[in-house]
Amino acid sequence: MGSSLASSAALLAALLVLPQVLGEFWAFQLALYFLYAVAALGIGICWGRAGFLPLGQGLFFGLSAYLSGFALLRFADSWWLLLLLPLAALASGLLAYAIGLLVFRGRTESGPYFALITLALSLFAFQVANTWNGMTGGYNGLKGIPGLPALDSFAATYYVAAVALAAAVGAVWWLVESPLGVLWRALAQNERRVGFFGHDTAQLKAIAFGASGILAGVAGALYAPQQGLVTPEVCGFVLSADLVIWTAVGGRGRILGPVVGAVAIGVLTAELRGRIGWWEIVVATIFIGVVLALPGGLMGLLPVRRQRSRGARAPVLLPAPPRQLAGGPVTLAIEDVSSIAGEVRILDGLSLAIQRPGIYCLIGPNGAGKTSTFNMLTGELPAQRGTVTLDGARVGVRTPHGMARRGVGRKFQIASVFPDLTLDDNLRIALWSGRASLRDLLRPALRRWDSALLAALRQRFTFLADGLRAAAALSHGERQVLELAMALIGEPRLLLLDEPSGGLSSEETQRVIQVIRWARQTLGLCVVIIEHDMAMVKELADHVFVLHQGRLLAEGDVQTVRADRRVHDIYVGASS
Amino acid sequence: MNVVYEVTTLVVIVLGLAIVFGFLGVMNLAHGEFIAIGAYTAYACQARGWPYLTAIPAACLVCGALALLVERVLIRPLYQRPFDTMLATWGLSLLLRKTVELVYGGGYKSLVVPLSGSVSVLGAPFPAYRVLLIVLSLAGTSVLVVWYRRSPTGARIKAMVGNPELAQAVGLRTGRLARNTFVVGTCLAGLAGVMVAPLTPVQPYMGLDYILKAFFVLVVGGLGSAVGLVSGAGLIGGVESAMSAIVDRTWGYSTVLLIAIVFLWLRPRGIFARV
Amino acid sequence: MTPAPVFEFAGITGGYASSVVVRGLGGAVAPGEVLGVLGRNGVGKSTLLKLLHGFLPLRDGEIRHRGLDIRALAPAERSRRGITFAPQERIVFDDLSVRDNLWLMHPGRRLGDLEPYFQRFPRLRERLGQRAGTLSGGERKLLSFVRAFAEDASLMLLDEPSEGVQRENVEHMIALIKARQTAGTAFVLVEQNLAFAEAVVTRYLVLDQGRAVLAGERDAVTREAIVAHLGV
Repeated sequence: MGSSLASSAALLAALLVLPQVLGEFWAFQLALYFLYAVAALGIGICWGRAGFLPLGQGLFFGLSAYLSGFALLRFADSWWLLLLLPLAALASGLLAYAIGLLVFRGRTESGPYFALITLALSLFAFQVANTWNGMTGGYNGLKGIPGLPALDSFAATYYVAAVALAAAVGAVWWLVESPLGVLWRALAQNERRVGFFGHDTAQLKAIAFGASGILAGVAGALYAPQQGLVTPEVCGFVLSADLVIWTAVGGRGRILGPVVGAVAIGVLTAELRGRIGWWEIVVATIFIGVVLALPGGLMGLLPVRRQRSRGARAPVLLPAPPRQLAGGPVTLAIEDVSSIAGEVRILDGLSLAIQRPGIYCLIGPNGAGKTSTFNMLTGELPAQRGTVTLDGARVGVRTPHGMARRGVGRKFQIASVFPDLTLDDNLRIALWSGRASLRDLLRPALRRWDSALLAALRQRFTFLADGLRAAAALSHGERQVLELAMALIGEPRLLLLDEPSGGLSSEETQRVIQVIRWARQTLGLCVVIIEHDMAMVKELADHVFVLHQGRLLAEGDVQTVRADRRVHDIYVGASS
Repeated sequence: MNVVYEVTTLVVIVLGLAIVFGFLGVMNLAHGEFIAIGAYTAYACQARGWPYLTAIPAACLVCGALALLVERVLIRPLYQRPFDTMLATWGLSLLLRKTVELVYGGGYKSLVVPLSGSVSVLGAPFPAYRVLLIVLSLAGTSVLVVWYRRSPTGARIKAMVGNPELAQAVGLRTGRLARNTFVVGTCLAGLAGVMVAPLTPVQPYMGLDYILKAFFVLVVGGLGSAVGLVSGAGLIGGVESAMSAIVDRTWGYSTVLLIAIVFLWLRPRGIFARV
Repeated sequence: MTPAPVFEFAGITGGYASSVVVRGLGGAVAPGEVLGVLGRNGVGKSTLLKLLHGFLPLRDGEIRHRGLDIRALAPAERSRRGITFAPQERIVFDDLSVRDNLWLMHPGRRLGDLEPYFQRFPRLRERLGQRAGTLSGGERKLLSFVRAFAEDASLMLLDEPSEGVQRENVEHMIALIKARQTAGTAFVLVEQNLAFAEAVVTRYLVLDQGRAVLAGERDAVTREAIVAHLGV
């Protein structure tokens, strides 16, 4: 926190000195690109952190520029401007948030379609600005916009832009370091998994988009008084695309990347475009090169500064608040659930019930519907028929984050930790599950949360204590353990484990077995395990469910199931 | 009649992209630039005094060679990354646009229409060249569709697209097939450029308009079916022509944008998608 | 005097992405031999076949076909060398007709060439013009089986060919495999169906948790020993 303020102040100091060095003309040129840099910072948040690309920021930049232009033309030199100009920026932010919610709520993958939607929106805005002569002045735009009151000289506009840039950098820094920023980066790596920690990922992405909207809005709102003229081009595709290119070339993963891109490349382009015909070809080639080989952009060539050096004093840990969950053992009843996709009956009248805590194993041949049962429980697989009752209450529409909030935790077959985040961040994300509200996510203190369970797990598995290690550096076995730990830290009441011993050696499998037993005793939870490792099933299972062709074939303790002729037949493959 | 012309030319323009995007999953944002390159090649041929027909092999040569290079350098490394493909091809389109601007200047070039005169259609006169284009478009598209459905190569493309692992298991060299498909799709863009060059202002930014419209057609019509392609072109081209005629060009374009936005949001796989 | 193996693999270790599913698996087949790979699901049988044909990266191990190290070859190249691979999932081209599925890589083939197969599986001939995706699960398996056999390869890797297939057709499959064995083709056969495996296998490789737990010639391995590893 302190570092973001300090760096921001340092940047501001540097910027303030610049006009002395470069002269007034350059100061005015740069001021414009400082504003573009502010807008580009927004793209850095969405693309560099949260993992989706807004290709039409011109929409927000232009909207705020026009609103600001109206306000200035109407209320020049009046007090109202202090209110109206920030409102112009806020309007863009709200619009972006709304669009984000609408688009992200409907679909799980954003990707190119979201980019195309934003692109189409910005083109549409351009059309509107171009033809709505009455309001926007049409093709010629709004002219004669006065500057900000008492800040009319070239120098003053520079200082305004410099302050805006420094403040924006500070704000972005703070956001990125907050728990919300950590969640954004997790989203970019594995959106599905973030949902399983109880977070509404559509909402998180919409917030990122909203933030980028505010940034573009601030830039647009200051653009109008600075340039004195707002034309439809500010909404258009060329500016939107340029912002993306500058962000990419500068480096979208670093906070200053978009700034470097906008200021360096933007200014150079403005200067050289006329003189050297092939300059833009060079920029395009660099852009292609960045996409192909250098995703970190120019800033990516600089090494990352470690947040805390190894020997530094470890931060004081704070106890996390307890989870707000219903007490008592969980009960689950699945009644006659069917899920059909085309002609394939994934689940066919599946009925099973869990009345008391214990370790349950779900076994069966390939395609029996084991993982599909988990998917159905957490809402990823829609069921056309049947009911699911949790704790005596029927659960209708299920979503991963909704089920997580009810205390259903899940560990996936393929280890789904967040590879580019540190171990600490991975564990913290799990810790915030069900404990942190949306507002909490802005408090930096959350990054120092700890719980008794987490401490105990760290003692059992010493590698977890090396918190600054990136999760990608872990071996496969360690990754499985990390994911298991993350599933446990959420202190779920019903834990769904999908092949927890997948790819593990026998000693690693033993450790996993011990942890599961220990967690069951400590937390009193109910564990349902999908496993093929029969040795593990024999050791752990209190009760076994055998699935076959989407329904329950047999159940009972291990002895009963082993003796069941039908089970033997489906495993040894008696011909149909 | 103008509507018919608009729709059929749109089909041809989109056809190349439909092949590249629909079969290979490659979002080639530089597709419009290849159309422009085709148009400029036609201009260059005409400027040298060669008969217009020479533009066809010339455009195929230029676009084909360029496509081979692009596939090798840009597309192949990014096959598993559709998002990055989109960005890299956007960079490519920028590059191509600026190069053309450098070589030919930013102004408009106009070509002489190779077939002058008009033909009487349903009682009204209509430019002969446009009629020729409509006929060629329909014929060419039909031939391609039939070829795709009947020929062994068409079946192999379908196999590769539907089940790439099994395709490899049966011995299909998917890398080679993908490369050839990309080149053919891109050459089609060049040919489309040759076709429309005499009728549109030929300037370095002409590709932009086509690429956006082409993507919208594919989003609306869905990928992977000829019917979808024609329906999408029909809807987009038809609406734009109608709105342009009734109100004005801007409204036409804006309506197309709105339709595209709605489809991108709610039905990105097109009208005929099962979702 | 056993002939030289046409296919041998040793120390096969690998899996999906970073995980290791199978460790240290080895085996060999000479012309006319059938190596049966058995085990419960999840033990790595399909993974082994995919590793052998190049669909998954090999962490460690060697693979030799006719004495040549084929680890660097792409799957399509291995198929062209005369190794046929029939997967367990997504086994036919759903969007293509049955005819297209069979003629895809051999457009010049004559209908008569496939007559021996159509005689045993007349259903396929009836459905030549039908889209393969509309066939039942068992019919799809038959199509995949015939497609693989029609390649006339010297080595066939088959992943659960009898899954979901009716009894009488399974008998036909056994007969076809036996006929091919006499003609000199080698097989690596992954199976869940013990009866089917017992009918054709000449050598067993039983897996559990990615490792070989039982291996040997058919006379040396008892049914009880195998069943112990297959059941719960």
